Amino acid sequence: MKQSLLTILFILAVGQLCRFGLPWWAVAPIGAVAGWLFPQMPVKSLAAGFIGGFLLWLLQALWLDMGNEGILSGRIGSLFMGLSTAQLLQVTGLLGGLLAGFGCLTGRWARDLVVQTAKAG
Amino acid sequence: MTIRRRPFEMRSPYPYLRPMRFIRFFFAFAFTGLLVWLLQSPQQVGDKPLPALGAFFNPFSGFWRNAEPADAASRLPQAVKLPGLTGPVQVAYDDQLVPHIFAGNIEDAVRVQGYLLAQHRLWQMDLMTRKTSGRLSEILGERTLPIDRLSRRRGTGFAAENALKGWQKSPESIRLLEAYSAGVNAWMEQMTPAEYPLEFKLLGYKPEAWTPLKTALVYESMVETLCSRDEDLASTIALEQFGLETFDMLYPEWMPGQQPIIPDTGQWKNIRADIPASTKPANADLSGVSEVDPTLSADRDLDGSNNWAVAGAKTRSGHPLLANDPHLSLSLPSIWFQVQIHLPEHNSYGVALPGVPGIIIGFNENIAWGMTNVGQDVSDWYKIAWADSAHSAYLLDGKTQPVEWRVEEIGIKGKPALRDSVRYTVWGPVVYDHLADHALRNCALRWISHDMPERNAFDLFLALNAGKSYADYQKGMANFDCPAQNFVFASRTGDIAIQVQGKFPIRKKDQGRFIQDGSQSANGWLGFIPQDQVPSMKNPSRGFVFSANQHSTPPSYPYYYCSPDFDDYRGRRIYDRLSAMSDVTVDSMKTIQLDNFSIRSGDALPAMISLLDRSKLDAEGTEMAAQLAAWNGSYEPGLLAPTLFEVWFDSLYRYTWDEMYTLREVKKDILLPDSWRLIDLMKNDPGNVFFDRTATPARETARNVVQESFQAMVTHFRQNPKEKTDWAHAKGFAIRHLALIDAFSRTDVLVGGNRNAPNAISKTHGPSWRMIVELSNPVRAVGVYPGGQSGNPGSRYYDNMVDTWAAGAYNELLLLSSPDAMPPARKLTQQTFSAQ
Repeated sequence: MKQSLLTILFILAVGQLCRFGLPWWAVAPIGAVAGWLFPQMPVKSLAAGFIGGFLLWLLQALWLDMGNEGILSGRIGSLFMGLSTAQLLQVTGLLGGLLAGFGCLTGRWARDLVVQTAKAG
Repeated sequence: MTIRRRPFEMRSPYPYLRPMRFIRFFFAFAFTGLLVWLLQSPQQVGDKPLPALGAFFNPFSGFWRNAEPADAASRLPQAVKLPGLTGPVQVAYDDQLVPHIFAGNIEDAVRVQGYLLAQHRLWQMDLMTRKTSGRLSEILGERTLPIDRLSRRRGTGFAAENALKGWQKSPESIRLLEAYSAGVNAWMEQMTPAEYPLEFKLLGYKPEAWTPLKTALVYESMVETLCSRDEDLASTIALEQFGLETFDMLYPEWMPGQQPIIPDTGQWKNIRADIPASTKPANADLSGVSEVDPTLSADRDLDGSNNWAVAGAKTRSGHPLLANDPHLSLSLPSIWFQVQIHLPEHNSYGVALPGVPGIIIGFNENIAWGMTNVGQDVSDWYKIAWADSAHSAYLLDGKTQPVEWRVEEIGIKGKPALRDSVRYTVWGPVVYDHLADHALRNCALRWISHDMPERNAFDLFLALNAGKSYADYQKGMANFDCPAQNFVFASRTGDIAIQVQGKFPIRKKDQGRFIQDGSQSANGWLGFIPQDQVPSMKNPSRGFVFSANQHSTPPSYPYYYCSPDFDDYRGRRIYDRLSAMSDVTVDSMKTIQLDNFSIRSGDALPAMISLLDRSKLDAEGTEMAAQLAAWNGSYEPGLLAPTLFEVWFDSLYRYTWDEMYTLREVKKDILLPDSWRLIDLMKNDPGNVFFDRTATPARETARNVVQESFQAMVTHFRQNPKEKTDWAHAKGFAIRHLALIDAFSRTDVLVGGNRNAPNAISKTHGPSWRMIVELSNPVRAVGVYPGGQSGNPGSRYYDNMVDTWAAGAYNELLLLSSPDAMPPARKLTQQTFSAQ
């Protein structure tokens, strides 16, 4: 549980570096680092990474959308087959979550190549 | 951070010897990589291309980044560094996001103008230059290749290069163009990819550095819009089809009752134009010209504009009033950008084109000016007599001339570039020889915009921005070639004037109406109308001047006026309204700009109703006829009658000119008569043979065709009951995004008007800027355009003026004497630009 929480917090904190011109996929390697640093059962790594990435992208988008009073999300939504703002936010979170989640799993298993982790979790 | 190793962990001596671990790591790694790869490739849903989803949705640099805070404008930085400025420049924004620029000299002002336009409209500027230079396919792929190829082959890029060469003759112009470019580039240099305008992210490409040539390309896009129309092919087919006598009956060049811009007051008595006699019919060998043409000319939904000025003697305040509303294809972002430029020596306000320095239409403390397009045809087609089968040489006056080649390399996204070689003759480019069955494939285009300008358009706009008097306006006018405009003028000292300004070919009568023989140099233009003989008028006794794209002059003007546009319903209406007015105010000017009355329909309807035998109608038809009979011809948004009338008139038009529509069905692009010909024949020659419908055995007259078209209208609405709705809904008006992205367009705007009414709002075109100026002290002005100052669909200033415009309301335009003079209630923010 603690490892999961640390994974999520790590992604949310280090993910803020994305503001400074990191490529859009940077959330995947950040997830991988979290997976390496906070080893746990692979399925939990995957889940925690997903939640971290999901929240990172979703909260950033939500923050911008609130400041914008929904002007742009309304227009982009109709560009993507009439998605509502809430659905757009979910898609955004989902993409961030998938990238970070699988990044985290990769990091978790990369660690196993180097470090023997007995019955993590 | 230190890694705390748990007690139960231990190093594996040979981890790589455990293949399961390696395999599962590899799969996780590969799957993540695949995910990244999938999300960075642009996707396709049906025929709709989607951007690369990962980059687009990433909230740190994707589209969400363009969701600017709703109060972003008031959070702009107070201090901005702009290298090259010679002194500090203040920019105060008002509540419509109009920047008011206060600079020490024009060069600094223009540098800041470039910076601001890039900040608010960068993608639009890029798109306009791509469209004119035939570079859309580089970003949009093969689907825009035909558009690019045509603009290359028409030589719009070539025209821009020539325009720039002309401008470069003036050191001041080139300094301003370079300062403007530097301003645009300064914005781009400090911009990160996360800050790119949304459309760059959507289409997946990057902005490029700005250059003076790009300004010329934006300028040429206006030229292309305003003076590229001609009907040479369509008229030639009509002449071939019907013979001279019928041709003259169907397509006369003078509409009775119209009001030319400049009436004959005897001012042309002493002009000896010395022009050879008419050449009609066209003396070219026209064989083969009217073969299958794959592209029919569009329906006659044209750009047009209104302007006028009223002398103080006719106004309530005693000060002159000036009004202008240029009608263009409406788009988002808007074609115009409002700006004030305050310098120590002058202070002006108006609308600028994104990408072009200065103010195009506007006013200063002393004068106001506005423009409408001159309808004169300045593009002609010449049939080339090829000297060899490879078409590498042609005959001119019996001698063989080699063609000059211009190689166009058109980049295509995802494909190798296309190299297209275009033949240039003494007349101009052979545009259509890449299409084997195009009717104009052996014709060269003589187009005024290909000529290097002898005079400098920028000098005109500089002169107007700085002008104080009629003399300044006159002096400025002499610098303007193309696109020819009717320049209206009013000054605080009480002068009003209008001038038909441009470079106009001197032609024999009928020259330029038809395709001409390109083997004789004598068929070229005979020269250009001297500047002191272009039509103009100052302070007429009637107390007003006006234009609405109609004939510049009556037939007594010594030079032949060739134009594809002869209707003059808007002009007549404006003339009637202004003649009848006294005690004119800004508000009464508004009622003319917003006038939905169409003389065309007002004329046609009583004649149609009187020819209609209402006893033959069923209940539904009788009800519709009653609605129509009660209508006065005004296209008010809430009325049903205009909807009914348009369908009825359209059927009547098609039934009458069925001879032409039959030919158009087999792709012969024959000229369609102006609607006033139909109305005139219906009233005065109802037995005319053209009323006979060729598809029926009976011999119809106007009466039959009116009845049958009315029935067709009733049937149409019976079959399409949803279309039987008020005019605003029926019209289907929309302001489209420049890349035709529906989500960024406004399709919900309900407005009245008609292209033949002063409020010329059609489906896609309309008043792109409504401005009214009172030349009082201080000058008072109101204006609005259907869009907003920001080009960002994520900004509240993207379309904030659309509803104001649609409601017929105006904003007060602030010509400030200093940044602090802005009323606090209207002030958004203020910035200081400096070199350090």
